[in-house]
Amino acid sequence: MSVFGGVFRQSSARLFSTGTCARTRMHAVPKLRELDRWTEKRGVFGVYDNIGILGDFKAHPKDLIRGPVWLRGFSGNELQRLIRKKRMVGGRMLTEDKHSLDKRISFLYRRFNRYGKHR
Amino acid sequence: PRDFSPQFISSVSGESALPSNLRLPPNLIGVAPQKRASPSGSDLPVLRRCEADIPAHLAPAQTWLESLGSRDSEPLGVVDLHPDVFSVPLRLDILHAVEVWQRNFKRISHAKVKSRAEVSGGGRKPWNQKGSGRARHGSIRSPLWRGGGVAHGPRGPSSYYYMLPMKVRVQGLKIALTAKLAQDYLHIVDSLEIPTPDPHYLLDLVKHRQWGDSILIVDVGDEFPQNILKATEDMKTVNIIPAIGLNVHSMLKHESLVLTLEAVKFLEKKLLWHDVRYVPLYPFKLPYSDLP
Repeated sequence: MSVFGGVFRQSSARLFSTGTCARTRMHAVPKLRELDRWTEKRGVFGVYDNIGILGDFKAHPKDLIRGPVWLRGFSGNELQRLIRKKRMVGGRMLTEDKHSLDKRISFLYRRFNRYGKHR
Repeated sequence: PRDFSPQFISSVSGESALPSNLRLPPNLIGVAPQKRASPSGSDLPVLRRCEADIPAHLAPAQTWLESLGSRDSEPLGVVDLHPDVFSVPLRLDILHAVEVWQRNFKRISHAKVKSRAEVSGGGRKPWNQKGSGRARHGSIRSPLWRGGGVAHGPRGPSSYYYMLPMKVRVQGLKIALTAKLAQDYLHIVDSLEIPTPDPHYLLDLVKHRQWGDSILIVDVGDEFPQNILKATEDMKTVNIIPAIGLNVHSMLKHESLVLTLEAVKFLEKKLLWHDVRYVPLYPFKLPYSDLP
């Protein structure tokens, strides 16, 4: 409609807008975060993920995961994660953390196995 | 005759004549690079045939063999590529699944909030059950209270680990290679020797041959020529990886893929084996008598 008014002078379109459509106000649109898509980390993300199939199966992709010992190559719900944490790391935890862990395990055990529809 | 060329009006003097919504940005991706001639109807010899047997009903895919030696060198010859690796049906859903797997299986989220048992305090009943006129409460750290624990918040470091079947991951690699070849973004090179360790030489070469904005260079083995290592050291968008590190996410992130002849041979051997192997009775990392 009034978009082409400025380009082709020979046509009979208006040079001004009568303001009937597109009344969206764009004054408070936040700016996109400026991200560098080619940092060191982002550029080589995912390299060696196929180290098993391309590398003679000497390593497994789960060996690449960096994180807590009890979570490398493991996934489970909260109770399973806490039990695994207690078995692997419980011996060297601090007393208060160990106490919270034990309390949380017993709470989750009772909740999953005694109450509700799925027991 | 009247001049029908469009006359451009600018509302603000000093800016360029076209209005801002009609100006094309200089780095527009839609500008297609000039298509190269297809190698099937050329006189150059076929410099590499596939080692593995090709099924009778398929024909090998063909591309140019190029050289990084000088900027203006012509293609050296034609290379045969195995159709079961470089011309598989393009299953975009498998590609998506492998890409999502690569993003998520390494993810460990450390989000954790304290529950009402872990927040300090809150052991004592704040006021009597009856008589005070206020609502009844058992502790000051229950989720109803300000400063209290969160009832169903994220709990502890959790992992999003899962594995796709091996053949799905292998098929994803094959599909990614096929897509690169089909879209003209795959380049085969005889070796990675370049005359100078200067990064500008590589940039100039890439721009001249219209290879794209970002290049992924793949070679087999631990050692690469020093020149190319130095050239790509400080370059963000040109990355060099060993063939063991090839993966779908990197292939999708970088616009162009450059493989050496040994890398092609290595990839074909590794990826074609999964079509003819038996089901593993025990994990492949344990020794098999016929696996190397």
